[in-house]
Amino acid sequence: MDNVNINIDGRKIKAREGATIMEVAEANEIKIPTLCHIKGQLPTGACRICVVEVAGSRTLVGSCHTPVSGGMVIYTNSPKVVAARRVIVELMLTAHTGDCVNDTNAEDCVLHNLASDYEVGAPRFNVKAPRYYPAEDSNPYVRRDLSKCILCRKCIRACSDIAGKNILSIAYRGFRSKVVMGFDEPLDSEECRDCGVCIEYCPTRALSAPVKV
Amino acid sequence: MGKETSSISSGRAELLPVLKRELSKNGCLSKEVMSGVAEQTGLPLNEVYGVSTFYTYLPVSKTGKNVIRVCGSVPCDLKDAQAVIGSIQKELGIAPGQATADGKFSFELASCIGACDQAPAMMINDQLYGNLTPERIVEILKSY
Repeated sequence: MDNVNINIDGRKIKAREGATIMEVAEANEIKIPTLCHIKGQLPTGACRICVVEVAGSRTLVGSCHTPVSGGMVIYTNSPKVVAARRVIVELMLTAHTGDCVNDTNAEDCVLHNLASDYEVGAPRFNVKAPRYYPAEDSNPYVRRDLSKCILCRKCIRACSDIAGKNILSIAYRGFRSKVVMGFDEPLDSEECRDCGVCIEYCPTRALSAPVKV
Repeated sequence: MGKETSSISSGRAELLPVLKRELSKNGCLSKEVMSGVAEQTGLPLNEVYGVSTFYTYLPVSKTGKNVIRVCGSVPCDLKDAQAVIGSIQKELGIAPGQATADGKFSFELASCIGACDQAPAMMINDQLYGNLTPERIVEILKSY
């Protein structure tokens, strides 16, 4: 494919046509945050935290799934981008109700780090019924705490595209959306075993290695 | 990989028509029915369950003889769908997600039913009722 000239944050950059904005930015050491994208896999564009401003575009665009084209002028950190990312983090925190206060590994939570980077405090949104699920310790390969899940779908992709198992899906709708196995069963079945591939992809520690007793 | 991917996508393409057919045959998409659909389409069970539970019109548990679906989307909410919900609740003694003891009605909230121009709106079975008021609810429910 042909190379095209684009401009990211005032830098003139030569990029491969068809590459995504995120790929080109990364190759040029420009950092764009992401919660849902798995490098090398098809993008899902679910989390929206990677939005950037493209001159002439009516809306912000997701950089993980938007290909570059010749003459594109991109701002990865403009006030508009930062404002959008702050609201996105705030919305995710609204539904991220896990017990992070007691989690000694909370610094591994990408969402928490983003909240700190973007100076997002306690979410201002009132929720009628907080999104809470009891943590599950029954599976010897993976511990699941869905209250921390932000529905990025990385575990689903890791399970199907990387582990080749395909036992996770999103079920229900809207605020009730949830990653489920089978008919929304606990993870302790025969199907989910000897694996744990999904753990390393989870950005928020909703999935973690079981605590060895 | 290529072959597997293509069988998954053809399974996905036929999933909704198959679910719709099974629903009209069985009245609801029970676990047995969904397991059968998973086998027939070659899709994992979790995916069949995920799609079924996404759609209000694909019930996964037994419904009443008449299914009341009150629109719970924003335009209806702004036109006081809460009052509609409240009066159904008062009239039938059941909350959204429940069925009457005699099995005559089940009651649930639906995502947008496409009748924003008549908000607040609801459907009973395939019949649409718009511009609802608590008074009209009583009348409508009596007609069933």
